[in-house]
Amino acid sequence: MTPTLTGTKKVVTGNHAVSYGAMLARVQVISAYPITPQTQVVELLSEFCANGTLRAKFIKVESEHSAMAALIGAASTGARTFTATSAHGLALMHEMLHWAAGARLPIVMADINRAMGPPWSVWTDQNDSLSQRDTGWMQVYCESNQEVLDTVIQAYRVAEKVSMPAMLVLDAFVLSHTAEPIEIPDQSLVDEYLPPYRPLYKLDPNDPRSFGALAPPDVYMELRYKMHQAMEDALIEWARADEEFSELFGRRYGLIEPYRADDAEILLVTSGTVTSTAREVIDELRAEGRRVGLLKIRVFRPFPAQLVRAALQDTEKVAVLDRNISFGMGGIFAQEIKSALYNSTKRPPIFGFVAGLGGRDITPSVIREIIDYTESHDEPEDLIWVGVKR
Amino acid sequence: MRKPIVFTSEREMPPMAVSLADMSHNRTGGWRYMRPIYSEKIAPCKNACPVGNDIPRILSLVSEGRYEEAWRLFRQTSPLPGVCGRVCYHPCETRCNRKDFDEALSIASLERFVADACFDLEDKISDRPKRSEKIAIVGSGPAGLTCAYFLAKDGYAVTVFEAASQPGGMLRLGIPSYRLPREVLDREIELIARWGVEFRTNTKIGQDIDIEKLWEQYDALFVATGAHHSRALSIPGEEFALTGLEFLKAVNAGQTVNIGKRTLIIGGGNTAMDCARTALRLGAQPLVVYRRTRAEMPAIAEEIEEAEHEGVQFEFLAAPTAICRRDGKLEVHCVRMQLGEPDRSGRRRPVPIPGSDFRILTDSVLKAVGEEPDLSFLSEHLETSEGIVMERAQGLLERAGIFIGGDAQTGPSTVAQAMRSGRETAYAIMRFLRGERKPKAPQLDEALRVNFSYFVHKPRVPTPQLPVSERTSSFAETKRALSVDQARTEASRCFSCGVCNTCDNCWVFCPDAAIVRTNGSYSVNYDFCKGCGVCAEECPRSVISLVEEEL
Amino acid sequence: MRNFTLPAEELMGSGHLGCQGCGGALAMRYVLKAAGDNTIVVLPACCWTIIAGPFPYSSLKVPLLHTAFETAAVAASGVRAALDIQGDTETTVLAWAGDGGTFDIGLQSLSGAAERNENIIYICYDNEAYMNTGIQRSGATPFLAWTTTTPEKTPKSEPKKDIMAIMVAHRIPYAATATISYPDDLIRKVQRAKSIYGTKFLHVLAPCPPGWRAPSELAIKLSRLAVHTRVFPLYEVENGERYTLNEPKEEPALPVSEYLKLQGRFSHLTENDVEAIQEIIEKRWQRLLRMVRESS
Repeated sequence: MTPTLTGTKKVVTGNHAVSYGAMLARVQVISAYPITPQTQVVELLSEFCANGTLRAKFIKVESEHSAMAALIGAASTGARTFTATSAHGLALMHEMLHWAAGARLPIVMADINRAMGPPWSVWTDQNDSLSQRDTGWMQVYCESNQEVLDTVIQAYRVAEKVSMPAMLVLDAFVLSHTAEPIEIPDQSLVDEYLPPYRPLYKLDPNDPRSFGALAPPDVYMELRYKMHQAMEDALIEWARADEEFSELFGRRYGLIEPYRADDAEILLVTSGTVTSTAREVIDELRAEGRRVGLLKIRVFRPFPAQLVRAALQDTEKVAVLDRNISFGMGGIFAQEIKSALYNSTKRPPIFGFVAGLGGRDITPSVIREIIDYTESHDEPEDLIWVGVKR
Repeated sequence: MRKPIVFTSEREMPPMAVSLADMSHNRTGGWRYMRPIYSEKIAPCKNACPVGNDIPRILSLVSEGRYEEAWRLFRQTSPLPGVCGRVCYHPCETRCNRKDFDEALSIASLERFVADACFDLEDKISDRPKRSEKIAIVGSGPAGLTCAYFLAKDGYAVTVFEAASQPGGMLRLGIPSYRLPREVLDREIELIARWGVEFRTNTKIGQDIDIEKLWEQYDALFVATGAHHSRALSIPGEEFALTGLEFLKAVNAGQTVNIGKRTLIIGGGNTAMDCARTALRLGAQPLVVYRRTRAEMPAIAEEIEEAEHEGVQFEFLAAPTAICRRDGKLEVHCVRMQLGEPDRSGRRRPVPIPGSDFRILTDSVLKAVGEEPDLSFLSEHLETSEGIVMERAQGLLERAGIFIGGDAQTGPSTVAQAMRSGRETAYAIMRFLRGERKPKAPQLDEALRVNFSYFVHKPRVPTPQLPVSERTSSFAETKRALSVDQARTEASRCFSCGVCNTCDNCWVFCPDAAIVRTNGSYSVNYDFCKGCGVCAEECPRSVISLVEEEL
Repeated sequence: MRNFTLPAEELMGSGHLGCQGCGGALAMRYVLKAAGDNTIVVLPACCWTIIAGPFPYSSLKVPLLHTAFETAAVAASGVRAALDIQGDTETTVLAWAGDGGTFDIGLQSLSGAAERNENIIYICYDNEAYMNTGIQRSGATPFLAWTTTTPEKTPKSEPKKDIMAIMVAHRIPYAATATISYPDDLIRKVQRAKSIYGTKFLHVLAPCPPGWRAPSELAIKLSRLAVHTRVFPLYEVENGERYTLNEPKEEPALPVSEYLKLQGRFSHLTENDVEAIQEIIEKRWQRLLRMVRESS
């Protein structure tokens, strides 16, 4: 028996929220390889395929590299495609991530943020996804299970509009294995929001074309220019997709989300689940009368530089919390934000904090420490390690 | 074929690297430095055929059962396929490329098969130009008949003068009927006559008619009187010997010739073989005495083999020195020979071994040491020099309008050589009458390279033979015709050297899809051919040549 | 006379960028003739990446997906899945990879696809080295051959990987060898593969005149000699068990020297080397005969 799962409230993990999102998006080809902490995503999708809830081909490949390659084949043939992975799996896909983007294929993938080895770690941080920053994939960092589900659907909408692949990112365990009550949208509404995939060109014996042939220097650069243009367009499309989503489903997330930011003297910038913790801390600090606010970065690629600039330029200090590290430089979000503000006339000092690597908890006290540090220092610092035992 | 696509703006480009056209704008022909060309070659068999029969095409037709077309193709080059299929020494087979793979094609048998299969067919007497010139041909042997045929086909009025009572020359007088049944010869002469050729038999040149007179009455004259004068032995008692040719003429004319029980034949040529085998059939025991060894015998190898097969005895390295009468028989005095230094012909000269005399007792002696032309009928102001009729008085190279050919020109040779001479003379006469020059014959390469990979080994179909036991008791033809199945099987063995038989290999193996097939023929699309040479290499029969590209 | 009957339709167009006498180009031409126009080709990095032509062109008259080096079989799996889910089970999906993309870098994804019995035809056109990058040794390079990474002083010290044995061990429904000098055999095998559900593997020897250091016109002859010398026998294996030998039929085989002497990549061989090669060939041939006997 096929249970009716849509249009209802349900308590699900972040991973299962991904699965529901893919199911509601009516993905046609799934290809995946198991890796902790992603496995539940594909386990539930396997169930959906097996019990007929989802009419899709699930190719159980022998590696993540192959998972992405299979989807490239499938998407090139006009199918809506999906995969999920983590850390080393994502790293193994790296070559094919470039391929998917260069081929302009609207593949959607969930990356469950997991720290890279060695040493082995299964816990969360963002180095895996951020290492893929320049592959041409859109990246959206999610905060809640509802956002996860909704973002899967939105991602297809935008990806297919601009012909670029999209990766939604959720923290290992903190989100992936944590159950929350979420609303499963009604399938008919999702169908209304997300029409079937109709690519401009596909592998079709009735219209035989080659895809991805050698491009000499006189044409390569234009094709890269077009990819960048598509990413620029995607900024608008994300906003539009979010707007229309809210009209149908009553929820919206924005590309970035300021929280109690209006008169803030210090703005904390976060991404992913730590945002929820930060909201609590901000509320506490506001209650104490301190003028602090929060800016959540949701869409990381394309980077909403103008929105970020507008949100941050009038504050006195910016504290960026990075759950990642670019060795020899510092937190990656901090770098992006600094570069976004650099060409602005108003450039508040930016403090870069790195915390929570390899799944170490970022507790309210850690966030409080970050705010305190920012408040008590006048000179900005590029990299401040939080919680390192020294 | 398209032009290259040039994008002037990124807006003209698709979002991803998707193809918008094929590669036909890319003329890869520019890569080429060797150019494959279809140029049919002359097959070695055809090249070797004195008559120039188009053997590969004919055999191809036979293999498909298209015998009438094969026969008509024969008749484009030869009026005597039935004759040649039996008596020709088939140099075509000697040169056949297939001999290097397994065995040469049985071309002669197939020629005979076609002639037999089409025995009742006639030439289509098509509209010919009406020509006023009259041509006289003296002699109706293979040279005269062939010349008459080609001239008559071209519209000339041809009269053939023959000393004997029936046309055919040496074909009728010299060749025994066990090799050439007379109905075959009669039929092929009849077909020549249908072209309007007039035969005046019992008319001997220099006796019944004068050459100068003929020259006055006719616009051109072809002397093809053959070589009927037997060479002398120049030994004491030569008068006791009968000439081999006379013997054959008599037997072939149905006369009774008494040669007794044992007959000794002097010589090693074809006449000697014919004499020996004829003698066998008359119930005699022939012994051939030849001064060299078997290897030097000038007779066609097959004839020697047949003679041996039928039981003819040979005495090699022996030369007669005298013939005496003894007790109603003849005693032939011989001397043993040994081979010395090569002579002008390249054969080792036989030298007598002193004191090696021996004697052979026999009932009769037939001398067959060669024949030569008798041109005594030429008028006193004409002579021949190496076969060319010259005017003694004026010293001109060629007496206008008089041609000489066949054995009369060359001395005894083969039927096919005589036919070649007849045909060439026919064309020479036409050119003479029209005041044309001899055109330069196109030089064709011989197709010597065969790609054996495409052929499967298949043994030659042996020519069916009359059993020896039945042979010597009669003059029945010793060789039999191939059956239809045998003929088609055998013909299908032909490599078709140098002749495209649309096997498709060039088209099949072109890595650039640059061979165009249209209605059973091929062409190279030079826009795309890169000149790799695969087509030439894989052509089973050398039809494709690679030539250097002009830069 | 051995005659070949090939489908007339040309699905590989002229103007492609294959070298003179390219065995890989010819193999593609035959395979597409056999596969027909309702075919999608999946192409990893290999010579054909270049041969097919640059953007915005294609020398094939069927859809062609260029993909990364190690992904032929799995990208083809994706194409197959997408077709199937869209209701098209008729279109043939053909992965077309070189020996590097098959024996070496693509072996993992090929093994995966074979294990899943993906309904695709996988064709390895084997020119026995990384030719596109300039003749470097691959797992398919023969014993003692010269390549730019196995110079004459230290030629390849290992025999060619037995890719057929590997594929047969996957118990796929159909695996076969073929080569360009036997186009009828090759076409029959592609058509056979088309008629079978599951993973079909064809190992096609495709001589590379530049890489083998041989004149371009010898491409077919080399292919033929490879068969006649038993260097590359033509055979089929069904379901990993039933072996059928197609060629060579001639007994005895030509000595391998007939094949080696035409190729510059073997010009450094000593008589002992040739003997050693002959031994390997004999061993593999006897093993093949044993498999044929055992399965009949």
